[in-house]
Amino acid sequence: MSKSTLNIIGIFDDEDKLLGSIKSLQSKGILIGDVITPYPIHGVIEALKLKTRIPYAALFYGVFAVVATFAFLYWTSVVNYPLRFGGKPQNTLSFVVVIFIMTINITALFTIVTFFLRENKGPGKVADIVHKELTNDSYAILIQKKEGMTVDDLSNINILLKETGAIEIVQKEVKP
Amino acid sequence: MYKTKVRGVLIEGNKTHGQITADVMRPMEQKTPKWWFATMGLATLGMLAGMYAIVNTVVFGIGTWGLNNSVAWGWGIINFVWWIGIGHAGTAFSIFLLILRQRWRTSINRAAEAMTVVAVICAGLFPLLHMGRIWLAFFIFPYPNTRGPLWVNFNSPLFWDVVAISTYFMASATFWYIGMIPDLATVRDRAKSKVKRAIYGFLSFGWVGRAKSWLRFETAALILGGLTAPLVIAVHSIVSMDFATSVMAGWHTTVFPPYFVVGAIFSGFAMVLTLMIIIRKVFKYQDYVTRGHLDAIARILTFISLIMGTAYATEIFVAWYSAMEGEIYTFFHNRIAGDYTGAFWTMVTCNVVFPQLFWFRRIRKNLTMVFIISIIINIGMWFERYVIIITSLTKDYLPANWAHYSPTLTEVLIFVGTLSIFLIGVLLFIRYIPMMAMSELKGILKETRKD
Repeated sequence: MSKSTLNIIGIFDDEDKLLGSIKSLQSKGILIGDVITPYPIHGVIEALKLKTRIPYAALFYGVFAVVATFAFLYWTSVVNYPLRFGGKPQNTLSFVVVIFIMTINITALFTIVTFFLRENKGPGKVADIVHKELTNDSYAILIQKKEGMTVDDLSNINILLKETGAIEIVQKEVKP
Repeated sequence: MYKTKVRGVLIEGNKTHGQITADVMRPMEQKTPKWWFATMGLATLGMLAGMYAIVNTVVFGIGTWGLNNSVAWGWGIINFVWWIGIGHAGTAFSIFLLILRQRWRTSINRAAEAMTVVAVICAGLFPLLHMGRIWLAFFIFPYPNTRGPLWVNFNSPLFWDVVAISTYFMASATFWYIGMIPDLATVRDRAKSKVKRAIYGFLSFGWVGRAKSWLRFETAALILGGLTAPLVIAVHSIVSMDFATSVMAGWHTTVFPPYFVVGAIFSGFAMVLTLMIIIRKVFKYQDYVTRGHLDAIARILTFISLIMGTAYATEIFVAWYSAMEGEIYTFFHNRIAGDYTGAFWTMVTCNVVFPQLFWFRRIRKNLTMVFIISIIINIGMWFERYVIIITSLTKDYLPANWAHYSPTLTEVLIFVGTLSIFLIGVLLFIRYIPMMAMSELKGILKETRKD
């Protein structure tokens, strides 16, 4: 577990103001630690240039699932206990059905597990709640307070947040 | 293209984000109404009756059902297919509309998915009980055993069914739950009592709503959706192959997979409509489930009903065109006319004729009529499965094998039990879970507002 760090947090009550604030903070070269929103906002994801590799993981799982399921079917029906009935081939085309379904099954399951592992979330995980309204109708910009920051830097951040429409500015220890 | 304003305003009443939270959470924060307890009591009674019937079946065996050597599939399989059909709508609704980026899904998807999960549980009960010796149910899974090791038949649609339905259950339940995590976090943050905060805190998996989490969340949901969409089609195609790969007259036909998939979506959408009309009325959600939503579902039903009509006509045509005595007998002397005329024509009237009333705007606008027709469709879809299973089995190729089938009280009570389980599921859902996807509603709010 990484340690929590002190953050300057600007709370907003409007999506447009939030996006505007992100832009002006970035133009001043201030590094935004994170943004918390009650619903997904694509503008925020684009502005922070966030990317995810989950689709690649899913593709990998899919390929693995196809190979693994076929290998299992082949091994059981051809190698381990070959049953001859009606002259039908043992390695048959109808394996496709089970392979198809199991690919979906394994890929879905592994993708979800990956999602939770990457997110470090799971049943009973205690949330590090920054502000109560962030799952309702408010938005937050988190800026990490670094050791090298001068008093001027800090007041600049505060002023900029206020100018761009933050309704509240707090300092709080937050886990990254 | 999806940005065109075909649908109009999706959330009426010029809501703010805060109002959406308050509105969706209202039923969870209010005192439990009296009708909830009354309905729950009734449903529990029904479930107890069902449990009695299940115990009866397990203790005394399948002999307690009205089955015989000819009609080996009766109510058990009828109701299994019926429930699976209903269980199709949630995922079909949610996932097809998600990958097609239809924003109007947001008010309805949560309820539809919840319905799916409960319906699939109800469906799964029937084949399990039908096995007779339920304590050996694990034989259907391929595992190394001391019988050879003898593996299951990987080429049997019955085995495909096991794989497909368990995958379907897992995928829809996960999809539903994952979609709910941000909303459970909202419940956690609003909770006033410590116990409630602890419970919803546990269930919300530590969700905060960071930008990166949202990105991963949406990506994972889309991948899961993309994977489950073909699954929806596969599941009911496989269910139809339970029938179509046999040589029974009336079953052995290639139209079965598409016919079953469409039929399943048909009954499921009808059930969504029934539930949404009730929820909308009881919880005063007219601003969220607008007339536009209900109108859209009614239009889809009209279209699907036409496909159903085409499927019925195709079956009859192919039976006649095949010039095969058995097929012709089944369709023309045992369905259209003969002992099962009533069931056949009930099916046609309910599924093909009544939904055509939705062509009229006045009927689509009259919610009482929409509600009645949505129930009629589900009755019709039940009769469809009855017609398929019973007419083909009672009179097969050898007249010496012809037999009569009528369900026993045990079979009827199991069905009543599953209906009650479904009702209990719905009641728990509306009481303890945000009925609509708040985070998704908030996401679409801005672009569908009047201004």
